[in-house]
Amino acid sequence: MKCPLLSVAFLAAGLSFGSGSPAFAAAHSAAPATPAAAAAAAAAAAGGGSPAETVSIPGPLRSFLRMAAVSQEVPPDNVLPLLSRTVSLYGYQLGGETEFLHLLTRYVQFARELQTFADSQGAIHVEGCADAARLVQVLGYRFQRTCGQKDAWLITDNPDRAFLTIDSGFPLTALEEAMQNHAPFAYSFPATQVPVLFNEKAWTGLDPRDRQAGPNLIDELLHDQNLDRLYWAFSKDDGETRDTLLRAPGLRALLPIAPALDFYSSQITIHDGRILLPGGPDSDHDWQDLVGVTPNSGGEFTRRLLIKDRGWLAAYFDALSRVSSAQQVHLLHGPRLRRLYDVYRTAGAGNSATRGVFPRNADLLMLMSGLSWQPNGDMYIPGSLPAWREILTLPSSPKMVQQWVRTARTWDSSEQLLISLIACSAFDTDIGPSQIYLTLNAIDAARGSQPHLSDATVRLLAERYADFHSWYLIFSEFPQLDDGSITQFVKSAETVGSIGNSALRANAMGAFQANVGLWEILARQHQIPPEKMAASWMAVVQPFASAESSTQLFEAARGSLNALLTAAGGTSSMSQDQVINLLAGPSQTTDVGRRVRDNLSQRMHSVLDDQRLVSLDTLFGLYDGLDGMAHGTATADQLLPLAGNLRDFEMPRAIFTNSEKIAWAPGIYTSRHTELQVRTNLTKVLQSNPSAAQLEAARAELTPFLRDTLVGLNYAYYEPPGAQVLHHNPLFVRSHDFSGSSIVGYNQLWDPPTLIGIGVTAGGGAYLVGSLADLPYALASTEEDFIAPQHVQALIWRAVVPGILVGAVQPRWWSVTQQEMHATALYQRAGEELITAAAGNADLRAHVLEILTTAMAPQRLETVRAALLHANQLSDALGTITPAEKFILAAQFRIRYPAQAAASGPASTELDALVRLDPADASVERISQDFGSPHPTLEQTNACSILDMKPLPAFAGAPNRLIGESWESTNLYWARIADEMGYSPTMLNILVPELSRQMVARIFATDLEDWPALLRAMRQTGDAFRQGQIKIAAADALREPEHSAGSGQ
Amino acid sequence: MPGKSILSVGLCASVFVLVAAVGHQPAAQEDNSRIFVNVVLVQLNVAVTDKKGNYVRGLKPSDFLVTEDSIPEAISSFEEGGEVAASMSAPGSTPPPGVASAPPAEGAAPPAPAPDTAAASVDSGIPHFEGASVFILFDTSDYMYRQFVFAQDAIAGFVRSMQGADKIAFYSYSRDLSRATALTSDRSLVLGGVRSTVAGDEAALYNCLLLTVRDAAQLHGRKAIVVFSNGPDNASSVPPEDVEELAQSTGTIIYIVSTRLAEQEPVSTAVFERMSRATGGKAYFARNWEDERLAFASIRDDLSHLYTLSYYPKPNPNRGWRRITVRLAGKDLEKYRVRTRDGYRLLQQSTLMSESASAR
Repeated sequence: MKCPLLSVAFLAAGLSFGSGSPAFAAAHSAAPATPAAAAAAAAAAAGGGSPAETVSIPGPLRSFLRMAAVSQEVPPDNVLPLLSRTVSLYGYQLGGETEFLHLLTRYVQFARELQTFADSQGAIHVEGCADAARLVQVLGYRFQRTCGQKDAWLITDNPDRAFLTIDSGFPLTALEEAMQNHAPFAYSFPATQVPVLFNEKAWTGLDPRDRQAGPNLIDELLHDQNLDRLYWAFSKDDGETRDTLLRAPGLRALLPIAPALDFYSSQITIHDGRILLPGGPDSDHDWQDLVGVTPNSGGEFTRRLLIKDRGWLAAYFDALSRVSSAQQVHLLHGPRLRRLYDVYRTAGAGNSATRGVFPRNADLLMLMSGLSWQPNGDMYIPGSLPAWREILTLPSSPKMVQQWVRTARTWDSSEQLLISLIACSAFDTDIGPSQIYLTLNAIDAARGSQPHLSDATVRLLAERYADFHSWYLIFSEFPQLDDGSITQFVKSAETVGSIGNSALRANAMGAFQANVGLWEILARQHQIPPEKMAASWMAVVQPFASAESSTQLFEAARGSLNALLTAAGGTSSMSQDQVINLLAGPSQTTDVGRRVRDNLSQRMHSVLDDQRLVSLDTLFGLYDGLDGMAHGTATADQLLPLAGNLRDFEMPRAIFTNSEKIAWAPGIYTSRHTELQVRTNLTKVLQSNPSAAQLEAARAELTPFLRDTLVGLNYAYYEPPGAQVLHHNPLFVRSHDFSGSSIVGYNQLWDPPTLIGIGVTAGGGAYLVGSLADLPYALASTEEDFIAPQHVQALIWRAVVPGILVGAVQPRWWSVTQQEMHATALYQRAGEELITAAAGNADLRAHVLEILTTAMAPQRLETVRAALLHANQLSDALGTITPAEKFILAAQFRIRYPAQAAASGPASTELDALVRLDPADASVERISQDFGSPHPTLEQTNACSILDMKPLPAFAGAPNRLIGESWESTNLYWARIADEMGYSPTMLNILVPELSRQMVARIFATDLEDWPALLRAMRQTGDAFRQGQIKIAAADALREPEHSAGSGQ
Repeated sequence: MPGKSILSVGLCASVFVLVAAVGHQPAAQEDNSRIFVNVVLVQLNVAVTDKKGNYVRGLKPSDFLVTEDSIPEAISSFEEGGEVAASMSAPGSTPPPGVASAPPAEGAAPPAPAPDTAAASVDSGIPHFEGASVFILFDTSDYMYRQFVFAQDAIAGFVRSMQGADKIAFYSYSRDLSRATALTSDRSLVLGGVRSTVAGDEAALYNCLLLTVRDAAQLHGRKAIVVFSNGPDNASSVPPEDVEELAQSTGTIIYIVSTRLAEQEPVSTAVFERMSRATGGKAYFARNWEDERLAFASIRDDLSHLYTLSYYPKPNPNRGWRRITVRLAGKDLEKYRVRTRDGYRLLQQSTLMSESASAR
């Protein structure tokens, strides 16, 4: 069946039923001009006060937005841009229009027909049954019994019309009740005016070949994808740039290159007719040389930029515009601009940079952002140049580059490597040389003054990059792990990965990765002291390098775990309860801290119990007992209760027969690992007077159980808020397929896990295939759809939500002090003070805008600039600035203008005092580490940070997580709220997951880059929490009786 | 489509298990390796029919023999469809030592006079329906696109017909669940929820049904979920087995109304029939709007004829699946058919804690 709406959409909510009641409708019909007035005001605001130009949308805006899959929370001036965006993204498929677009088009006609029922005030009135008949017919319904009777209900007469009636949110029940009660029905159904860029005429009739053009812009937008992309692209530009481009080259000339504009024009700014270039005026000559037009002819320069080399030059320009000015200086140094572009263009020549749905310059952008430089301006190289020459000839390197390196006479400068890496970034791969460079560079960067990667380690990491690259992020997050640690990891991983027996290999990979995962948890929580990190790491990974049988594996995993626990302050003989307590968090000295830790510990217990995993106590007790029996120091009777525990696990009661599963879930259904456990019966063995060999075999049977429990500890720790699979599918942990045996030809065993089996009803439930690398994200992706959106039409935003959920469970806030949390709030408030003060101070305004330039796209920056010049818009402007932007603004301002740091208001003053009093707790670096977000794609590390960069667009393929990594505000905001409400920092461990879940439920977003929707949802959640509308039971129960009043009021 | 007579197969039983995490309640069953759980009350919804499928009414508590893992259980409370609950004071009907009492049923009253066995009567067919909570779960995915408006009509008719029911909630689902109307006795609100739904996106029936069962699990008394789905699921990560177990363990009856389209997909047909039967409900595959209407009428009828009885389980070391049997005592009643779900699994309190309970 065709998709009637959007399979990938994050859609708008429905018309509230109450809005269709006669009373409500009457109230609205009494003030029909209100929506138009709001639209006009919005248009005037968007145009900086110029007279509003609008277009007419038939019917109520909410109904139209509902049908157009646009969030009903968007302001009027965003309606046409988002309509264009949605239609261009989801309205076309395989060269034809989708069902979504057909429906939207039909709705517009339907709404026009309904408008004929409205009076001059835009209201539809029905006084009684006599005049209801025609309306009901147009709506596609009829009365089941005679209209006017108590039981006269409306039922479908014309399904096509009825669908539009319902889908657009017409208040059918109100009409029905009014007729039953012999009451009049009134419904406000006015045409809605929404702002249009320039004016309607500017956009219509652009394509003279188009004979389908309708009577107005709406009709044109509904059937011209290029026009949609052109309109969307223009909506992302600032006003002056738009006006310039309108004059020359003009919309008609730009229409054919709308895809390039859509992808790569958002960073283009034209001021006084001149295009602003990455590198500034000093780069004029180089850019003119590349584009063929002087930058002083901004419009023509833009057109030539976009059409050149099938969009590759535009892609290059866009990436350069997005990197920091410091990076730009290096990338434009000397002849680099052209040299790098030439190789980039050549590498991409086989394709068009404007093909497809998403921009194609993500890898170039990441590379340009992640390059490091030597003091002399040369690119920094992890390892040596000869090592990189070898890397560039690895099979994972693009053939063009391999050939190039092999045939090069000389290879003696980092510039050659830089050129090669830029070339590699044009190819579609996530394991090529540019990715290797970024990963290794991140490791060296994290090491700082410590010894950098040796040549041998660089070679090793590069050679095994295709297999183990997802695990290398550990080494950039924990720079205390030296080259020896890295080498040992690779050696152990290779050993377990090469075990011949597939069941044993899967158990070994699972147990090995699980213990490494537990090491990460304890290291991240600072429970492993920095000086013990390398040694403890070796003790965790080394035992697996020699495990060749199940019993050896059991002992290796146990020894590895014991060493880890000891390094983290525990003992080698801890019970499972103690292990869970240790993982739940470091020892706490306050009552509230202890209770928070206990709460997290209970949650982990809950997951382990629902997964019906055998406890470590049982497994170790049995293992030792069986050994004792072999040596005559234990008896079967002593072990029988423990053996009984193994039998506690039962498979879920079957709905399908085995033959049905095979027939209905081919290739998916596999639970051999689990079925082996069900068949394990040590009770029988114990009661059979077993021989030494049987006892040894019995011990070996415990290894799969141990793997599952160790893996389960990882799953339990990273339980996302709102998780259901972890609690209701008891096979989820056991089903983790480490060997890829459930998928023919699967060989990405060390990659982040993939969720398999979604929607396979007879498959026994979805499960993860792959490694435990990036497990928090995989679990968040698994569980996100169990959060029920609060808005009727909203869907979970898959590109962003997992990142938010990971940010809520991966970082923990045990070491955050009250001062640090307060400072976090103060930075945000100081940012607000700066913006407010800048409205009345030209110098300060210039400083503020200069700082925000690096964090905001030109169009948003223009909006803020305009707001700072119009006092009545200041409040609205503040509402669009994210907590991360406020934080960056305050932090950067303190660095750049220390003399004025305390002058903007009380928060700035208090922050200044706090920084002096407690520089460590109030430091930007520390707050960034504690309340930022992980950027595994962009920064090649799971360490948290706040990046001073513009939000990124959606990209296809591997970099699709970049968009989520652009959002860094949530935890900063929760910290501010917690501070203002007087919570202790340890409570963040309870508050953040639940507030994040609540926020996700409130997200009501339209398109792939709808940042304002995130901001709205976050603020709504914060406000609801402040007002007591969100009760977090665990937090209320754990809160200290006499919490501080919150000094940050 | 069947009318009342089709309910001849409809003997339903469900179990409501309340459990408490250790620390909140004394633990009757504990070891050193688990979070301790404690069964407080098991509640069963039971339908009894004659050979023709007519509901048998007028039975009294002593007519029912309940065993759990072959352990005879004493009925603690008893209610016939349409009546208020009657507390029993028979020996063994009180909580065993160390087991907390469940809160009394809302509106509990002294036992109503029960007819003797000979007076047990076949139902006259007049539905009376009180005290139940009904969750309607409507498929708004792509799969329902063509039938969307007709299905809405049928659901709206069902809601209107439930005038005697206690409370109704209306949810819809595609990839995600939408709780359009929370439990309410205001039919107008529910109808508004029905007509507010929007079509589109993937179908995650079992994910969303799981969430609905969890919501229902928070409630005491009779509760049922009526699913209107066209069948296929292409977005769930939990399997139907887990949903079925949770429904069984929380005493939630699942009825499923589908279309002939679902019958073209054998896996959906199998699940719908088996899951609904296992939870005490029934699956209907409607050919047309009239069939849908009859299916909803049948569901309404079924809900109004359930006996609800409960018991406090006697000490039982089994921490896994507990098998329940319900039989009728005495030769005169042996001719009647009893259909009951065959067991439940102990659940943790935390497992059932709802989103709304933790954060409202």
